Amino acid sequence: MQYENTRLAGYTDDASIGRGSVDLPLALLTLLLLTIGVIMVLSASFARAYYDLENETGGNAVYYFYRQLIFALGGVGVMFIASKFPLSFYRRFSLPLLLVALGLLLIVPFVGVESGGARRWIDLGFTTFQPSEIAKIAIILFFANLICRLKGKMSTFKYGILPFAGILALVVGLLVLEPHFSASIIIIAIGAVMMFVGGARLYWFVGGAVVVAAVGAVLIAFFPYASTRITTWLNPFENPTGEGWQIIQSLYAVGSGGLMGLGLGQSRQKYLYLPEEHNDFIFSVVCEELGFIGAVLILCLFALLIVRGYWIAMHCRDRYSFLVCTGITTLLAIQVILNVAVCTNLVPCTGISLPFFSYGGTALLIQMAEMGIILSASRDIPGK
Amino acid sequence: MADRSRRKNPSRTPNRMMLRRTLFLMIVCGIVAFIVLALKLFQIQILQHEMYESLAVEQQVRETVVRANRGTIYDRNMKILAMSASVDTIFISPAEIKMYNEDPELIALKLAEILDLDYESILEKTKKTSSWYVTIATKVEQEVSDKVREFKNEYNLKGVKIEPDTKRYYPYSSLASHVIGFVGVDNYGLAGIESRYDKELSGVSGRIVRAKNSAGTDMLFTKFEDYYDAQDGNDVVLTIDSTIQYYLEKHIEQAMLDYDVQNGAAGIVMDVNTGAILGMCSLGNFDLNNYQDVSDEVKAILAETEDKEERTRILHEALNRQWRNKAISDTYEPGSTFKIITMAMALEEGIVNLNDHFYCGGSIPVLGRTEPVKCWRAGGHGSQTLTQAMQHSCNVALVNIGLRVGAETFYKYAEAFGFFNRADSPDVTPTGKAGIDLGGESGSLWWSENVFFNEQNLSQLAAASFGQTFNITPLQLITAVSAVCNGGNLMKPYIVGEVIDSEGNIVKKNEPTVVRQVISKETSEIMCKMLEQVVGDRNEGTGRNAYVAGYRIAGKTGTSQKVAQEAAQNIKEYIVSFIGFAPADDPRIAVLVLLDTPSNETGIYISGGQMGAPTVGKIFADVLPYMGIEAVYTEEELVHMDKTVPNLKGMTLEEARAVLMNMNLDMRVIGSGAVVADQLPHANAVVAAQSQIIVYADGEASEDTETVPDLTGLTYSVARQRMGYYGLFIKNSSGIIADSESVLVSKQSIEPGTMVKHGTVVEVTLVDNSNLGRY
Repeated sequence: MQYENTRLAGYTDDASIGRGSVDLPLALLTLLLLTIGVIMVLSASFARAYYDLENETGGNAVYYFYRQLIFALGGVGVMFIASKFPLSFYRRFSLPLLLVALGLLLIVPFVGVESGGARRWIDLGFTTFQPSEIAKIAIILFFANLICRLKGKMSTFKYGILPFAGILALVVGLLVLEPHFSASIIIIAIGAVMMFVGGARLYWFVGGAVVVAAVGAVLIAFFPYASTRITTWLNPFENPTGEGWQIIQSLYAVGSGGLMGLGLGQSRQKYLYLPEEHNDFIFSVVCEELGFIGAVLILCLFALLIVRGYWIAMHCRDRYSFLVCTGITTLLAIQVILNVAVCTNLVPCTGISLPFFSYGGTALLIQMAEMGIILSASRDIPGK
Repeated sequence: MADRSRRKNPSRTPNRMMLRRTLFLMIVCGIVAFIVLALKLFQIQILQHEMYESLAVEQQVRETVVRANRGTIYDRNMKILAMSASVDTIFISPAEIKMYNEDPELIALKLAEILDLDYESILEKTKKTSSWYVTIATKVEQEVSDKVREFKNEYNLKGVKIEPDTKRYYPYSSLASHVIGFVGVDNYGLAGIESRYDKELSGVSGRIVRAKNSAGTDMLFTKFEDYYDAQDGNDVVLTIDSTIQYYLEKHIEQAMLDYDVQNGAAGIVMDVNTGAILGMCSLGNFDLNNYQDVSDEVKAILAETEDKEERTRILHEALNRQWRNKAISDTYEPGSTFKIITMAMALEEGIVNLNDHFYCGGSIPVLGRTEPVKCWRAGGHGSQTLTQAMQHSCNVALVNIGLRVGAETFYKYAEAFGFFNRADSPDVTPTGKAGIDLGGESGSLWWSENVFFNEQNLSQLAAASFGQTFNITPLQLITAVSAVCNGGNLMKPYIVGEVIDSEGNIVKKNEPTVVRQVISKETSEIMCKMLEQVVGDRNEGTGRNAYVAGYRIAGKTGTSQKVAQEAAQNIKEYIVSFIGFAPADDPRIAVLVLLDTPSNETGIYISGGQMGAPTVGKIFADVLPYMGIEAVYTEEELVHMDKTVPNLKGMTLEEARAVLMNMNLDMRVIGSGAVVADQLPHANAVVAAQSQIIVYADGEASEDTETVPDLTGLTYSVARQRMGYYGLFIKNSSGIIADSESVLVSKQSIEPGTMVKHGTVVEVTLVDNSNLGRY
């Protein structure tokens, strides 16, 4: 409404001109978390980078830090640019983006870089990226689009469930080929949340929960990989040097942090004990170095960011913007919650990175772009 | 504003249901979930903090043990008997070999070459890629490990590692091997002083506690280090004198060869006034540097044995036998050497005196025995004085004396001399030890009071009087005999003089300890004189083969029958022994030699007098001069002693003859000059008195060779003449004076039939063969 009034003739090419300012709390919280995250990457990664003489880092202790710093700066730019485009822009490209994501997911099992028995990464030469990251945002953008189109039909099975479930099945089917279990979970969850917010009937979710539980039961019963995850979760000390190693090392790190922590840079668990210490388990290093106080403070920042994200969503007067903001915020929330839950052995171990903290260039760029989209939507909210 | 927009286009704005559901999401994902996470963090970080912290620290720290240097073992003159030197342990880290992509074949090849090991087995070890520590070689000398270090550095290998360790060196190899003992691979004392004084020698290891990363190397940038200094081990100074030890071992070893001793031998040299052990050996011994190495004979047996278990059994038996210190670990029936004790108690009690006479008719009936006790001499010794009874080692006289002493008094003295400690109950057979500070000492075995005190059966008392039917250690006997000769004080034997810390301070000093005075000084003096007569009296002494010209040796022979074994296997075997002390007028050292089972095929009569006595005599002949005790020769000895040939060259024949005559040497002239041009033997050779020195009046000495004749069984003078005929010479390796028809050559240093040059001196062993008997 406001932008309609303030839109100036001759500036229609640049959609941002004349729109309101971005939501400052969300932007500041994002930048604050990003800053802390980059510092934590430096602290968490330097031991591994130092010892890793033969491979990527060549013994350069700040190798990961520099790369993360560059991507973080790039990410700020990406967020800024993304906040300039109106949501209609994203809506227009939601279908092509989904198709691109599907295409990449289709080829990744063939051209992807193999790591730990799975092909999840595409090598771009200067960096690698996961098509599943694109799939996540594509699902949000496209589902929001679909929900807006379907309007009142969302309560029917034919329109409210079937197309969404079909797309999700397709995407998850492709992810299973890699295989990529954690991304599947997130995409199913985010899809379900989109449908939930979009107005699908609640009892379908009860049914969906039953289906998910059944599939989970089958997985656990027939795939030893899945069942060992569960037994390791329940009792990590049963096999401390094998399956239990990761989670035990994480618990050691978290536990030895205590109330005040060992101090920034003083983690001992990062000295090759803790696997993925600058990736999936970076929060364990945070806990060890900054203690309970520091960890809870960072969790509060995340919670504020998420609450602010939903707040922006609920203040969008545009249904598409609302749906996209809700989706992105939920995606952020799910990743943060699951990551911290894994580090503390609250849920079985699965590879989910911590937004703004975990090392990883393209994932960070995409996260920053996602925040940029929320910021873009926030421009249209008056009186923030 | 929301209302207005909804009015405008309701389907374009989020409806109430959507907002409600989003609010629900916000509460769940933005608040509830984070509260749950915070609670979980509280549980782990606050409630379980200590548990996880200790578990984490446990894996994060590494303890490096800093070995304490093991102390040195010295003899009494501070000669090093055992010392530690730095060596290295070579090991590989297959995990790192894999991690750094190092060539296992190159590593195996070079290590096998440098360390002289099997290539295949090293290559096999490199395949254990989950391991960080696989030992390749231990106790590697520095110069070898330097080559490994060179190789490691050349290829910059992370998987090959070198760790410092220490190794024990024994400069004198087998000398005093049973006393010194040895250490195992982990430097832990396993035998002898090394074991008994392990705590003193080993010191306290230090520790370095460091933070380490998961790969096991130091954690970067962390100031997490603790040092606990190592405390070096103390040095142990033994009372052993390595020179005396050498003489002891040398002569016993020779005796084992000469008498073909089947079952090992033991010897002890004790300072009679202090109880300090000056020498102690058990033969055959072993090289301490290779203590697991067995003798060639055992190796030959092992090579022939097919069965693996049998081989292991033989090897272990052989090792245990060679490691066994017979001087303190084996017990035996001392036989006649014990008559010293019987005599000492009888004199002390005043039951006998030097004027008593004892009649020996060859046997004596004893209450409780079906057969009378026989004397070793079938016809008996007839009437004899107390001293003669001892000189003759007369069983009949000693049984008589023992019976006169009585069982209870005998028992009391035997206990007082340290042969056992009285048992709590009269039914129990008592045992006891001399109590030396060396591991492996066995306890004696004596009669219970009830058996020994039985008035209806005196056979135990009678047999004990001449040293049979009970078992003691050689150490107990020499300790008791030292008490007899030192004025009556039973000393506590000891082998460690001092313990010194690494700064040279004396930590512990063993002072001579008098256990008790057993007999009076007067009795002791009588005993010394009496026992000197056993050796010194050339006509009546049964110990005369222990005589050393110029010295006053006292002592007693012993020939103990292995009664139990004879009963069981019907084989007659003997332990022959001799215990002596010197100088008899002021005793300083005692020597006990024990030869277990000499072969009866050497032609030498098996007895303490024929085998034990000469061995001890030779030991005294070397040890007494070494100790600075000067020989005082009698006129007679001076005449009969071996002579050192003077340098006669340049003298006129008359002058030379005069010089030789004066020395009780003869002269034979070859050639027609007037001045001595050359001589045989050359100056400073030692030859028998009255030997005919060959003087060459013109020209060089003869270079001709001659066959050595067989001298065994000849008297010294006949042997000298026989040799002189060939232009050869003899000298006497025993101390005894060879002026009697019964003193005969038993051994010669150069075998008969050997070709030698004119003028060669052959050393002969003389043994008095009169009065042969098992005494």
